[in-house]
Amino acid sequence: MKYDNDTKALIMLSTVEGYKARRKKFDQVERPAELYDDYSIADRMIEDMDKFGVRVMTILDDDYPPQLKSIYDPPLTLYYIGDKNLLSQENLLGVVGTRRVTAYGKNIMQNFLPVFIDSGLVIVSGLARGVDSIGHRFCVDKGKATIGVVANGLDICYPPENERLQEQVSKVGVLVSEYPIKTKPLQFHFPERNRIISGLSKGIFIPEAGDKSGSLITADDAVEQGRELFVVPGSIFSTASVGCNKKIKELQATIALTPEDVLETLGYDAKKTEKEVVQLSLEEQALINLMGSEKIHLYALMEKSGLNIAALSSELSRLEIMGVIRKQQGNYYEVIPSM
Amino acid sequence: MLAKTKSYALNGVDGYEVSIEVDLNAGLPSYDMVGLADTAIKESKERVRSAIKNSLYTYPIRKITINLAPAYTKKEGSHFDLPIALGILVASEEIVSKTYKDYIILGELSLDGSINHIKGVMPLVISAVQKGYKKFILPAKNAKEASYISGIEVYAFDKLKEVVDFLTGEIQAQPLQTSEFVSMQSLNKYNVDLSEVKGQFVAKRALEIAVAGGHNLLMIGPPGAGKTMMAKCVPTIMPDMTFEEAIEVTKIHSIAGILDSSIGIVASRPFRTPHHTATIPALMGGGSNARPGEISLAHNGVLFLDEMPEYQRRTLETLRQPLEDGVAVVSRAKHTLEYPARFMLVASMNPCPCGNLGSKSKECKCSPSEIHRYVSKLSGPLLDRIDLQVEVDGISYEEFSDAAPSESSASVRARVEKARGIQRARYASSTTKTNDEMTNAEVRKYCKLDSVGEALLKNGFTRLNLTARASSRVLKVARTIADLDGSEDVSAHHIAEAIQYRSLDRKYWD
Repeated sequence: MKYDNDTKALIMLSTVEGYKARRKKFDQVERPAELYDDYSIADRMIEDMDKFGVRVMTILDDDYPPQLKSIYDPPLTLYYIGDKNLLSQENLLGVVGTRRVTAYGKNIMQNFLPVFIDSGLVIVSGLARGVDSIGHRFCVDKGKATIGVVANGLDICYPPENERLQEQVSKVGVLVSEYPIKTKPLQFHFPERNRIISGLSKGIFIPEAGDKSGSLITADDAVEQGRELFVVPGSIFSTASVGCNKKIKELQATIALTPEDVLETLGYDAKKTEKEVVQLSLEEQALINLMGSEKIHLYALMEKSGLNIAALSSELSRLEIMGVIRKQQGNYYEVIPSM
Repeated sequence: MLAKTKSYALNGVDGYEVSIEVDLNAGLPSYDMVGLADTAIKESKERVRSAIKNSLYTYPIRKITINLAPAYTKKEGSHFDLPIALGILVASEEIVSKTYKDYIILGELSLDGSINHIKGVMPLVISAVQKGYKKFILPAKNAKEASYISGIEVYAFDKLKEVVDFLTGEIQAQPLQTSEFVSMQSLNKYNVDLSEVKGQFVAKRALEIAVAGGHNLLMIGPPGAGKTMMAKCVPTIMPDMTFEEAIEVTKIHSIAGILDSSIGIVASRPFRTPHHTATIPALMGGGSNARPGEISLAHNGVLFLDEMPEYQRRTLETLRQPLEDGVAVVSRAKHTLEYPARFMLVASMNPCPCGNLGSKSKECKCSPSEIHRYVSKLSGPLLDRIDLQVEVDGISYEEFSDAAPSESSASVRARVEKARGIQRARYASSTTKTNDEMTNAEVRKYCKLDSVGEALLKNGFTRLNLTARASSRVLKVARTIADLDGSEDVSAHHIAEAIQYRSLDRKYWD
């Protein structure tokens, strides 16, 4: 790829650690091209970027996402792989949250995300473990576009187990980073990354967040940047929901009880999503009724249903495959609640 | 005079004839041994001399040369003492025997002239029998072991003097009586029973399926849930060992020197539990003095790896090839050894490093990356060979019910044997023995699904995120479930149940 000298200068500037330091240099000059005389470093970096299919846009470019430009500290460079047009769209919703999702959080995602996507929203997230990964995987599985903002160079994958997912996101959507390739995911990159997620998005949706969740930083960014913040309340006893509940207590967030709550605030019509109609036989329905709303242990269910282990395991598999129940760790089963 | 006695040496579990040539020459008195003997054999010099002297024979003061032919193979063990001593006695014309060449002679000497117990008698004798040898002279302490082989004449002695008297015709001896093989069930040596395990229905069902189809099993559960106890019960529900199987096991245990010489045969299925610090040679076999490893000692039985992720990853990876081929191949620069290693792998692990993940009462304090690192110690290819992965419950069954009587091992074994019978009939014309060993072609042939089953399997994979490699595993397990059911076809509910036992494939650890 060929870039002009301003872009090359900004590529070189992006190797400087710390946003403030970069911004200070950037503000000193009229055109970034004045910063450097020799662009051989940039040329080499561009060569490397081309190998990985990484492109770059700068804050000076016309296609730089306008909503991102309006935040207090917009990134000077955006490296990306995939469809850059997605970034400038107005229908972006950030979905972030805890890395340790409970069944409650999964249930929320399972009920909310399809409605969001079918109503035309595009999910933005950070490719971290937990909520982020589930959100991205959901889109990827449905072949829907999604935006992944990462805290490292685009040639690196963090966390390592998301390598495949990261690649898929870049195919169906776009993968973005403020950092040039070969940048490691350093600790202070993550809060910097979070401001981009909220900066791109119209709103931030947090299904589940613990007391010290990084998603709370995104939440603060969102409030500061004037984005809508949606949280789902959780049990006051659940450590995984402390963060969400705190935001509610501090009156900083809109309480989202249904996906429609989010959509209406953002000005979207909730499309009636076609729910898969699951036909249950009488026996299956009876088993579901036995299970109740709480998670239940297999043996309790054996006792209640009078089925032996072989028959019950078989029935539970079928229900699980139909998407009606979910197995949890320790041979517990739970009916997936639907709204 | 030159004397030649016959003995046997081992390479892996197979023996080969060693001819021991003793020659006495003129010259300064000396004792030279050629033919790549190891230290234990070389040290026979002192034992042989004292044993001859203390048996009141005269030790020749000549230049003694001993050759172990074939000269190019490395020989190990102490069982050449007796044939060497006899060779020296014959060569020095201290005794006159016409018959000594008819026997394969094995035995270690003590300084006082008595004959000690040796290792590896069963495989040595069996290989000699296969070569057509029929007459043996062995230590009396190994008599029981050799008595299980029929159609041969075994003479067992306690002292060098007795052997000499027998060979010179001064005393008559009767060959050993053949022992009858009694399988373990009648002796009932297993000191555990499945009826002692309360609750744990999932795990017990999985054990039954695993044993019935020869599948490998992984139990996932918190510490103290009873994983080890259940693993110990696996041999109790396995079908009785046939005589041939018992002989195979005995050969290996004999070489390793862990055979109980008062019984002389391994009649109960082995249950081996190597510690997680086990090295690769300890597990696979080998070492400077070749010794079968734990996986070979578990041949025809159970290899139990407790806390599987605690094992070194490199060590675990070496299991892949034996799991596939049923043999442990130990390659060294100078030789390659093969030990049989067809075992059932039973492994256990905690759901996370602290063990409390998914527990109702205790909180798991592991970070996601710790859990990921822990689980990912088990590589995909290895997990691929473990068909059943079930969760063991940390809770007591009493939480739900007043102890209902549990089924005994005997009644579970009856069902297992029935299912094995069906498999034997099915694979009569194939090298496959159990469902686990089915080839891809056989899976297609014997695991035909109707449209309902087909759809279930397909949906199962997309919905439950099952990995692609799990597919044939699920089919094989479903085949076993159908066999336990006595059903000709694999139907949808068999598939559904099999899917339920693929815990690790699901992405809990998200």
